[in-house]
Amino acid sequence: MKQTITNDGVGKWVTRQYDVEKAAGTLQYTDDLRFGPELLHAKAARSTIAHGEIVSIDVSEAMKVPGVVKVILGDQFVHRFGLYLHDRTPLAVGKVRYVGEPIALVVAETEEAAEEGALKVKAKYKELTPIFDPVKEATDNSILVHPELESYEHVPFIVPQPGTNLANWFRIRRGDVEKAFEESEYVVEEAVNCPQIAHGFLEPHCCICKEDPATGYLTIWTAAQSVFATREIIAAGLGYPLNKIRVIAPPIGGGFGGKAGMTIEALCLAGAMDPDVKGRPVKLHISREEVMLTSWVRQGYVARIKMGIDKDGKILGMKNTFYFDTGVSAEYGANPVRSAGYTSTGCYYVPNVWTDSYAVYTNKPFGGAYRGFGLPELMGVMETIIDIAAHKIGMDPVEFRLKNILEPGLKTCTGMPMHNHALPKIIEKVVDKVGIQKKEEPRRPGWKRGKGLALAIKAPAKPADASSSAIVKVLGDGTVEILAATMDMGQGTYTSFAQMASEELGIPVKKIRCIYPDTNSHPYDWQTVASRSCWAMGMAVKRAAADAREQIISLYAQYWQVPPESIVIEHGIVKCRSAGKAEPLDERIQNGFKMPDGYYHGGPIIGTGSFVPPDVIYPDNETGQSPKSVVHFTVGAVGIDVEVDPATGCVEVNRVSSGYDVGKAISPMNVRGQIEGGTVQGISAGLMEGMYYDEKGRLLTPDFTDYKIATIKDIPEEIDSFWEETPEELSPYGNRGVGEHSMISPAPAIGNALFNALGVRIHTYPFSRERVYKAVQMSKTGEEDLWDYPYVQEQNYKKAKKEWF
Amino acid sequence: MPKQPINVVLNGKPVTLEVEPRTTLLRALREFGVTSVKRGCEEGECGTCTVLLDGKLQKSCMVLAVEAEGRKVVTSEGLLGPDGELHPVQKAFVEEGAIQCGFCTPGMVLAAVDLLNRHPDPTDEQIKEGLSGNLCRCTGYVSIIRAVHKAAAMLKERR
Ligand code: FES
Ligand code: FES
Repeated sequence: MKQTITNDGVGKWVTRQYDVEKAAGTLQYTDDLRFGPELLHAKAARSTIAHGEIVSIDVSEAMKVPGVVKVILGDQFVHRFGLYLHDRTPLAVGKVRYVGEPIALVVAETEEAAEEGALKVKAKYKELTPIFDPVKEATDNSILVHPELESYEHVPFIVPQPGTNLANWFRIRRGDVEKAFEESEYVVEEAVNCPQIAHGFLEPHCCICKEDPATGYLTIWTAAQSVFATREIIAAGLGYPLNKIRVIAPPIGGGFGGKAGMTIEALCLAGAMDPDVKGRPVKLHISREEVMLTSWVRQGYVARIKMGIDKDGKILGMKNTFYFDTGVSAEYGANPVRSAGYTSTGCYYVPNVWTDSYAVYTNKPFGGAYRGFGLPELMGVMETIIDIAAHKIGMDPVEFRLKNILEPGLKTCTGMPMHNHALPKIIEKVVDKVGIQKKEEPRRPGWKRGKGLALAIKAPAKPADASSSAIVKVLGDGTVEILAATMDMGQGTYTSFAQMASEELGIPVKKIRCIYPDTNSHPYDWQTVASRSCWAMGMAVKRAAADAREQIISLYAQYWQVPPESIVIEHGIVKCRSAGKAEPLDERIQNGFKMPDGYYHGGPIIGTGSFVPPDVIYPDNETGQSPKSVVHFTVGAVGIDVEVDPATGCVEVNRVSSGYDVGKAISPMNVRGQIEGGTVQGISAGLMEGMYYDEKGRLLTPDFTDYKIATIKDIPEEIDSFWEETPEELSPYGNRGVGEHSMISPAPAIGNALFNALGVRIHTYPFSRERVYKAVQMSKTGEEDLWDYPYVQEQNYKKAKKEWF
Repeated sequence: MPKQPINVVLNGKPVTLEVEPRTTLLRALREFGVTSVKRGCEEGECGTCTVLLDGKLQKSCMVLAVEAEGRKVVTSEGLLGPDGELHPVQKAFVEEGAIQCGFCTPGMVLAAVDLLNRHPDPTDEQIKEGLSGNLCRCTGYVSIIRAVHKAAAMLKERR
């Protein structure tokens, strides 16, 4: 029998933790912490060329700026860092590999002096030819971004190819695709490309580092998603023991993957650990332009899918080739490449599969984690080509999808059987809500209207043994503190954890608080990424809260001399109806109970819980096969109704409907928030976002003027978000992740809607006005396919395209 | 560079800020300890640094501190009641789930206050116009629009 009663447990609409201080403006983010006059400020001087050997760096003028304390160069801090592949140094050593790479760190008494000093650092380079085109550089090895690739350490599930620009090569080999194509009635082969895009979180990266000069202990305050991963990466890079590094993460102003792993901390440490600086805290806050130029981006990609389909519309075989533009570093970006690879048949059952997913180094900012982690990329291609294929074989795209859907029990491309899900029901709802199969008159006179559908799927992408642990402390007045090192960066996890603890403890949510992460106080958690926290950390929180509850109940059972089963905790009051007892949780929970035997028992209640997924097996590096490659998948669908202004190429979204099978909505307010926010982020990416470079690799979109993200004026007229709840077997409450999923499919859904409106297939993201305008013009001449190449090396691409087809 | 004192009325209280001629109002406020004004871009694009300057919306990264001499500055903390209770706009943001990471929120709240001063009963279009200078990357704005409507209703009740 359940022994707790609460009004705001799992599944209830409750307001969110920390929103009061966020609304008031009193919540302190990293940049808001104050360190007094001891604080020094750092600013990086950055490379102005994309590829070259450093001949000399002159810091003499920078040192003359009043207030400048020290200028640190790469050869004074040679450490290689990386999550999956150690290919990154915080400061360029000997060579620069992209425009914006830090070449020197100026440390000064004020931020202004550091900024001034950085402008005065002068470098001379011997220029090398830069490379930008992932398709070309995947096979042409005449110029290498990392000739030293062989010497870099990496985890076993990442497969770099030394002597090439391939930082990772993920493969699926199942069945016989060539035979499947021969037996097919139709073979469809198409490609799609997309430039790099930026996270656009509003809080720029910021950190403060300090070394204790006596012991070497490091303290790092940082806007990071994952304190423990940051600590591990730094410890490995420096050769430090873990317990000599303390990482504290204040609230962060949005992450979306862009603050996962390690970002600017090592660069800041180059200042804080300098012999002339150490002992004083050093702060590194990077400007918006630097964020755009030199932090993670979502990788650009060029992807091709060949599909063999039988006469009834069943997909028999699929051959996928994905080139991801990982930029200068793949330390994190190697893994979305893998994530796209092991989900490379999307939401469909395909018996014969051949996939090559490559991470290709180029002289551009580095690719990393971004909401969706390889799946917006994959589904950006898949859902486009599925739509093309349906039209080519003369079948309704909805019917074609349903015919090939990955039903429970069927095997994913890695050979793992699919679990239960409500995808067909979600599709049906979306199709109905948006009227996908109905042609409607445009709302705006003279405009063209179209509807499109795209499906979504994603598993948490992480090491097989990514673990979590939590501590639940019941305090001496019946309030609760949860130590779970998940970062609530806005997604609302702390509210979910509080609701879980409320469910398990029978204590109202308003008495429960989650504490922001600190490696010194919190128990271990792998990372806040992959939409894994409510699931994996949720397991730990649930276990910890249940542990605390059992301790409380057994103490009261002894105290009242009643059977433990007769005790209930109701809204923070411990009750035993049969014995007529009811007492609020009070200081005895902390100080112990004087028991009938005359002795004190108990003491502070501390519940603990740990979790590691028990049964994930890495896909085989040669074939990609595994009986259980991932823990589970969250699936969903997006239907969209758009209108195009033929005069300008402007696209307006009339209506969007997005539904996901979340297993169980722990915190409905946050589930809705994640779906709404991700849908708009996905529409923004689909319609306007792309990072562009000139022929020398200089970023042309370094700010929100040139890199546009959706404003409030760019949102759809109607956003409908819903979810289904098919419970997950191994899960705290049946729940699965949903944070990233809403970002996956709005963009391809728009592409399909535009095809529906114009009869022209745009193969290049984003669907910017100029591109859509071009499509409108093409529709007049009967042309059907619009291709643009996102890179300046158009010529190379044209050649590559010829070789491809 | 030498600093000079400037006098402003900050959230109702006269204060003196020590600033260099090149210091923006944003940096001056933050140095003074008012950290609800956030620096999301320092180039006038994001709105996280929004304040009310003499009752008008202003991106504080786009004015020099010396230009604020003798003027009234209101930040999000300045909207709180005497006992720290949230302003109806702030309250509506909390209740409608219009906050995620919260980095845009102080600026967004001020933009909403300014909008509701001008349009006590705003249409969706007016809300979109009024908040179009403030970016939010998290919420997709839908919940923010809900919150502004709710705040309008709450303020009407209070009047
Ligand atoms: S910081 Fe002022 S507008 Fe962005
Ligand atoms: S809540 Fe994060 S930017 Fe608005």
